[in-house]
Amino acid sequence: MTDAVNVREVVLSVLMEITEEEGLSHLVLRRVLEKYQYLDKRDRAFITRTVEGTLQDMLLLDYIIERFSRVPVYNMKPLIRNLMRMSVYQLRFMDSVPDSAVCNEAVKIAQRHGFYNLKGFVNGVLRNIARGQDQIEWPDKNEDPCRYLSVMYSMPQWIVERWIAQFGQETTETVLKRFHEPAPTVVRVMTEKVSVQTVIDDLRAEGIQVERHPYLDYALEISGYNYLQAVGAFKKGWIQVQDISSMMVAEVAAPNWGDACIDVCAAPGGKALHLAEKLRGSGSVQARDISETKVARMKEAIERSGLANIEAMVRDAVIYDESAAGTADIVLADVPCSGLGVIGRKQDIKYKMTPARQTELIRLQRQILHTVHGYVKPGGTLIYSTCTIGADENQMNIKWFLENYPFVLESIDGYLCPELRDRTTKGGFLQFLPGVHRSDGFFLARLRRRG
Amino acid sequence: MALRQIRIQGDPVLEKKCREVKEMTPRLLELVQDMMETMHAESGVGLAAPQVGILRRIAVVDIGEGGPGPLVLVNPVLLSQEGEQEGAEGCLSVPKMAGKVKRPQHIVVRAQNEKMETFEIEAEDFLARAILHEMDHLDGILYTTKVEGGLYEVEDTDDEDEEEETE
Repeated sequence: MTDAVNVREVVLSVLMEITEEEGLSHLVLRRVLEKYQYLDKRDRAFITRTVEGTLQDMLLLDYIIERFSRVPVYNMKPLIRNLMRMSVYQLRFMDSVPDSAVCNEAVKIAQRHGFYNLKGFVNGVLRNIARGQDQIEWPDKNEDPCRYLSVMYSMPQWIVERWIAQFGQETTETVLKRFHEPAPTVVRVMTEKVSVQTVIDDLRAEGIQVERHPYLDYALEISGYNYLQAVGAFKKGWIQVQDISSMMVAEVAAPNWGDACIDVCAAPGGKALHLAEKLRGSGSVQARDISETKVARMKEAIERSGLANIEAMVRDAVIYDESAAGTADIVLADVPCSGLGVIGRKQDIKYKMTPARQTELIRLQRQILHTVHGYVKPGGTLIYSTCTIGADENQMNIKWFLENYPFVLESIDGYLCPELRDRTTKGGFLQFLPGVHRSDGFFLARLRRRG
Repeated sequence: MALRQIRIQGDPVLEKKCREVKEMTPRLLELVQDMMETMHAESGVGLAAPQVGILRRIAVVDIGEGGPGPLVLVNPVLLSQEGEQEGAEGCLSVPKMAGKVKRPQHIVVRAQNEKMETFEIEAEDFLARAILHEMDHLDGILYTTKVEGGLYEVEDTDDEDEEEETE
């Protein structure tokens, strides 16, 4: 008999696609797990854990490898590089796999892929790491805090540098540490349909752990379920997954009865739906997005919600829509961003972002603000938000916007629970930091168009 | 010792019932050693004598990591079985294919080793699956006749990146 599938080969091919070919980790992994549905639970768990762990700790793993290899990681053949990373991950973090098995399997894989002359290299370096991993010399925390944090939490150095400059070393470490802990699932209760207590009782009856979120009375943190789509409250349309920071957008937008709202980058639609719910059947919400497939999916979500005051449509946020000029009481601009606030959920984002790509994104963000600011009625509200951390895509964009357009920042203290208020919220914006706040990383600002 | 040629599905030898081994001759001992070597060379986890063209009740099993090491099973008999498991199997005689097969979860088997000493082995999960798969071969049964949901192709990971590495 043969093994139907060599799980380590699967892990390696997934890593290759993500690190060498721009595949997105959550999509590649989902596709592969669907393809190998017939594998047993243990094999599927091994694939998921090894892929996610190797990505999460990649810079740490590279640092270890380079303490034992004369060849730097970036000079290795891509296949060997990823084989070494996943093997060192198993050596260091997976006690259930014997070291000898890790080394032997790695050698076999190298050989199967034609790297006969590298068998000795793979075997030698891995065995030395297995023996010597307790005597590794780490970067000095006080001498070179930037390198230390970069290696220990596997965050590219340029990002760590900027965060230390903006938030200080201690806060930066708090945020980085939080990214290494599993992020809880937060759901929003559809309070139009059902009471929060009913949902809590219903979830608990299914054996799911539920905790009320301190920031909003209709937000719940849930854990201890296998598959969300199978949860009763989800099937009944009582709850929707949304991070607490995203819920704050509609809270801070605070629509009045009958308001006309436009969400210019709405997909997947959570914030727009939340806004429509808050309007209690009055007013209107246009959920716009550039992607036809995403708009189609939003239409389905709207259908499911049963809300009549929201409509999804295909519109490009950088093409000026004359018909929308001066029509909106509220405009949401939740712009495309580097996504550094949600690294806890998508580990590979951090390696794919570069200063050049970020500059491109900032240009796009400003272009969107320039295009859509005119949709806001005089006296109306513009909410700017991103799911990233750092001044470049957030405060700097707001500063630029205020200098060029007839808008002012407005205090958001009145919409926030006391724990979230600080000197910036009084000024009109808030940078959510994981570990500091009980949320993903997120930024939002409330701007009023001068009348 | 030598590697032996593996017979591929369609070869009538794979559909015949094997004869019992009465005594361990030098020829059969050499067969056992060759089977073990062939199984390891082909990255298999089990191999039965008919797969190398010999109609005798001999099988070798080695599931590697998490298993008891290499096993020689001469004249194996299933003493008891319990429960059920479902999982994917492949076979060196059916290259590049795999399929889902239901097997008992837990088994007890009695067999002789290469010295003809009788022993009993308890196995579950993947080891039970591998042993039963090989025992089927001894009765001329291929796993393809037990597959549920059809066979599917599995990618061949060999022969890629045949480039020379320089350091």
